[in-house]
Amino acid sequence: MIRLIFYWTAILFLQFVVFNHLGFTAYLAPQVFIVLLITLPLHISKPYQVLLGFILGLIADFFIGTPGIHASACMWLVMIRLLLLGAQDLKEQIANHLPYNVHSVGLSTFAATTAILVVFYHFYVFWLESIGAINWFFILLTTLVSALFTLTVIGVVQLLSDKSSGEF
Amino acid sequence: MQRLIAFIEHNIHIMLFVLLQAMCGVLLFSLNPYQQASFTHSAAFITDKSNELSSTVTDYFNLQQQNNLLQAQVSTQFKNDARSSLFFMNDTITLRDTSRHKLFDVVPAEVVYNTIYKASNIFIINKGIKNGIQKNMGVISSQGLAGIVLQSNENYSSVMSLLHINMNVIPTINNLEYYTGLKWDNANPQTLKITGLNKLEEIKVGDKVYTGRSSLLFPAGILIGEISKLETSPSSQYFTTHVKTATNFRNMDYVYVIVNKDIDQLSPLLLDND
Repeated sequence: MIRLIFYWTAILFLQFVVFNHLGFTAYLAPQVFIVLLITLPLHISKPYQVLLGFILGLIADFFIGTPGIHASACMWLVMIRLLLLGAQDLKEQIANHLPYNVHSVGLSTFAATTAILVVFYHFYVFWLESIGAINWFFILLTTLVSALFTLTVIGVVQLLSDKSSGEF
Repeated sequence: MQRLIAFIEHNIHIMLFVLLQAMCGVLLFSLNPYQQASFTHSAAFITDKSNELSSTVTDYFNLQQQNNLLQAQVSTQFKNDARSSLFFMNDTITLRDTSRHKLFDVVPAEVVYNTIYKASNIFIINKGIKNGIQKNMGVISSQGLAGIVLQSNENYSSVMSLLHINMNVIPTINNLEYYTGLKWDNANPQTLKITGLNKLEEIKVGDKVYTGRSSLLFPAGILIGEISKLETSPSSQYFTTHVKTATNFRNMDYVYVIVNKDIDQLSPLLLDND
């Protein structure tokens, strides 16, 4: 439990202090914190997952200054994740209260699911942010660059995490 | 009931999702200036479109009233037109503006029955003796000459249309009156013919044909039509002139009856002369 709290705090800290202020290029705005939603333990009930997505999104909105955008995006992420996970056989993991990660479901499944969710999330957020002045080239390029960066960070975190702990 | 509860239990996360998304929408559009502007813009677009749609529908209910208004307006304008008044010089100096005497009055009417394919076409209008309509009054449409009142009863009048083989109008072309009748020959419901115009006359296709001063029924200068064809034959010294009527009798819905207010004073003078 303590490890879990530490994990959440660390990821949110990294997101709001480091990743939100990367100044290399305007096209890079990675949303790494969504890994918290992607790797949610599988036994949590659906309404709680939606609520958790909403709360986490609101916290992100609060730090970034975009009321509603991340909250909305996080809930969509949760719903799509439920959809994707519904198509996967996860009875064993659910019974053992395992999180959804590379150790519990295997690399290829986890990578595919994560890639879809990350790309969707970035696209949705950048599209919503630019309503009123939509520039498709900018949206697509930012989505691509930021999603690649986020996927890399998630991959590193997954590789570094302790397999035996099984908490995230 | 149990099935309903089961359904709600099973889908509660979707309901929660929809509810919270709606909250996000409110947050998004009430707090973000860009999205708010965009939302207001789209809302205005939709409102405009729906207003436009509803007005295209409700406009139809209003058309009758609008028509009556327009007719009243046209008849007033016609009454005030110089064509329908005579200039009386009472004295060398006229102080009050009564020098213009209105000779013609105008009564708007609606066509309730109309034919064009017979040899003797008439149409019936919804104004009669009650409205001051009498036999032998001229009738015009907004486009031009239409006919002459044949008879009237309390509420209706029948009108001899220009498309009637007994109709005979004296045409004026290029300000010259030609005392050869303009007649309909029971052929094309858009074409009248003038037979006795000499080939030496300076007329050409496209010239306008108006009413002249040789009738008390109409003011001078009411459009009858336009010369559409000049037929010549080597053995004749006359044109057969085709005149396309200004009034389209196929869709004539509203007309104006011309009332000569001084006909009682004018016609005895003519009779004495005959």
